[in-house]
Amino acid sequence: MDLPLLSACFAALALTLYGLLDGFDLGVGTLLLLQRCDSSRDHTIDSITPTWDGNETWLVMTGITLFTAFPIAYAILMPAFYLPLIIMLLALGVRGVAFEFRVQMSRYRRRWDLAFGIGSVVTSYMQGLILGGLLQGVAITNGEFSGTVFDAFRPLPLLTGVIVVVGYSMLGSGWLYLKGNAEILHFSLKSLRIGTPAFLLLLSLGGLYAASIQPGIRMAWVLHPVSLPGLAVLMILAGGFLTLFPRSVNAIVPLILGFAVILFGMTSVALIVFPNIIPFRLTLWDAAAGSASQTFLLVGAIFVTPIILAYSAFAYWIFRGRTPENGWVE
Amino acid sequence: MRLDASTLARIQFAFTVSFHIIFPTISIGLASFLAVMEGLWLKTKEEVYLQIYRFWLNIFAMAFGVGVVTGLVLSFEFGLGFSRFAQIAGPAIGPLIAYEVLTAFFLEAGFLGIMLFGFHRVGPRLHFLATCLVASGTVISASWILAANSWMQTPSGIKVKDGHIEVVHWLHVVMNPSWGVRLPHMISAAYLTACFLVSGVGAHYLLQGRYPVFARKSVAIGTTFATVLIAGQVFIGDILYGTMLKHQPSKMQAAEGFWETKSESPAPYYWVIVPDQQHQRNRFAFGTPYLGSIWLTHSLNGTVEGLRNTPRNQQPIMGMVFYGFRIMYCTAMAMFAVGISSLWLRWKGRLFTSPWFLRILVLMTPSGLVATLAGWYLAETGRQPWVIFGILKTVDAISPVPAQVLLSSLIAFVCIYSVFMGAFLYFTLGLIQRGPKDESTEANSSGSLKNAFQSKILARVFDTSATGRR
Repeated sequence: MDLPLLSACFAALALTLYGLLDGFDLGVGTLLLLQRCDSSRDHTIDSITPTWDGNETWLVMTGITLFTAFPIAYAILMPAFYLPLIIMLLALGVRGVAFEFRVQMSRYRRRWDLAFGIGSVVTSYMQGLILGGLLQGVAITNGEFSGTVFDAFRPLPLLTGVIVVVGYSMLGSGWLYLKGNAEILHFSLKSLRIGTPAFLLLLSLGGLYAASIQPGIRMAWVLHPVSLPGLAVLMILAGGFLTLFPRSVNAIVPLILGFAVILFGMTSVALIVFPNIIPFRLTLWDAAAGSASQTFLLVGAIFVTPIILAYSAFAYWIFRGRTPENGWVE
Repeated sequence: MRLDASTLARIQFAFTVSFHIIFPTISIGLASFLAVMEGLWLKTKEEVYLQIYRFWLNIFAMAFGVGVVTGLVLSFEFGLGFSRFAQIAGPAIGPLIAYEVLTAFFLEAGFLGIMLFGFHRVGPRLHFLATCLVASGTVISASWILAANSWMQTPSGIKVKDGHIEVVHWLHVVMNPSWGVRLPHMISAAYLTACFLVSGVGAHYLLQGRYPVFARKSVAIGTTFATVLIAGQVFIGDILYGTMLKHQPSKMQAAEGFWETKSESPAPYYWVIVPDQQHQRNRFAFGTPYLGSIWLTHSLNGTVEGLRNTPRNQQPIMGMVFYGFRIMYCTAMAMFAVGISSLWLRWKGRLFTSPWFLRILVLMTPSGLVATLAGWYLAETGRQPWVIFGILKTVDAISPVPAQVLLSSLIAFVCIYSVFMGAFLYFTLGLIQRGPKDESTEANSSGSLKNAFQSKILARVFDTSATGRR
């Protein structure tokens, strides 16, 4: 059995779940900055309070899977993206404690809200920066990172950062459309109508620019002449519907369409990157740990992941429906 | 000390991990405490248990939140600061941490929402189950991370082949020689931390004459558990001492403060030393004669091995190890004294009415955290200069990241973590100042909150969605 491939699939699953689930959490945080009224802000944060922690755990899962199954890649990527990662971790920290601390006081709650919003934007932006940096290419010599810590701040990463912020906001709008009160519903509808086409436009620009500077991406289009254009068409269709959907549809439809758009995007990136773990530089087999480590990890992953998905879904089910006007604790 | 990349990476890791461990210690202890309180409430329907539960739930939530976000940093910091360690150790300890995420982090995260916000959404039994699952999640999490750290202290189950580690026996990696002792040691430490937090707050209220029912219950429960736990902890600590003496003699040599290959006979027990690592001697040492022989060798004139038995390039820095050990040990003795006094006062019926004892309890409120941190300093500084004992030195494990970058991230961590700590203390002290809420208005004695509230919520939700559609 091809263990590194299976481990890579698990890492991809964890990363996908992270991007979709924490994507809407982070997007909700970003959208908080655009809201004018205090009660809407409370309501917006309440919509994600009971479930955010599990969503963020998929980030740890992704990182640790990389550490376990592809230690060589982990050891190259962590120093290569030292600054964006440290900034992301600090921003996630600020955002995480803001959840707990903002409810402890009413006087300065808006300052914690601001910290929460900025933390969300910065986290999303840094994740985009890392994505762009990977596609641009990481300098490796003799199996070690040989670039500088500022490599991640080149034009392509700076652009992909914006794309990720907008993409997550699109997911966040979908979530708020599902969970929010009348006021939030109105707000999220507006933000979907504007945000989705903006995302598609930025993504096309970013894609073209990336292809112009990275021969590996042009090569991928030659290798996948059907699937990559196919995914692009699907993405535009889903995005188009998300921009123009009628208000009669079920409240969950926008979120699902948002998921679809992001999922098609992530699949395209996966197609471009595969079979590398560090794009265009290092294949997953060259970066893999010994089979004993892969097997031990995979046994756990295969047996425990379904259970995790089941009780996580249960937690969402407990907090189903629209968010109560005065929060979950009265 | 030069601030080169290796020193800075070590300071950064030491700072972030020290800061982090404070919060899991609180949340491991409080989670189990909360489970016991909720269980007692369900069983007895005594309001005071629910009151205690609600009060500590708030503090638990904050500690858990800070613990999560500072722990997230650590899972990346293996690679950020120590990429060569990550590359070599990843195959061995990576899976242990992966299992921690799979079996503990998700479990905690999945049920924490129900525990914190589900009071009106689920029945009392399911809520209790959620509390129990979160509490077991904290213990499972500790088991895996202690397995990983113990493996770094006493590596086994692997073979080293051209600079790479290959796992031979997973069972030996997980159940390495020190794990079985260090895990109960840490769990007891976390439980003791919670006991002293709870009884300290109770004693504070008793001294002020506020919330007598809540306060008496807190002091009674806190001191009872603390007495049992500290007795066990002294016993576990003694076994651990023997384990480390066997597997990491250099750590225990440094911990006792002796340099000579063999100490004088009879050996004193040092309380204060000013070690001079360069000349391999103590500039100053103060101790109790005979006590070293009695405690460490269980004889009147036994000798103790000193740090010169370890080659100089493999010695830890004695001062750090010695004081880590002494602070932990002295705190533990103080806890033991509190435990004994509490038994005596209880027998005399004066547990709640002796101001001197209550003042000591208030003073001891953070004692669990002090002992835990000091113990970890003993464990981690005593392992140096190795990161994986006997296999990889810390200086050979660092990332190719320039010193200036490490310095700026260290400054950023210190600034932001100070805000976290400041806010945590401010809000926790504020909650203690405000005191527990009166539960009689919030709970009914039937114990089922679900039916009373859910219809209300549903009606409101229905109402909101209806207006939303208009």
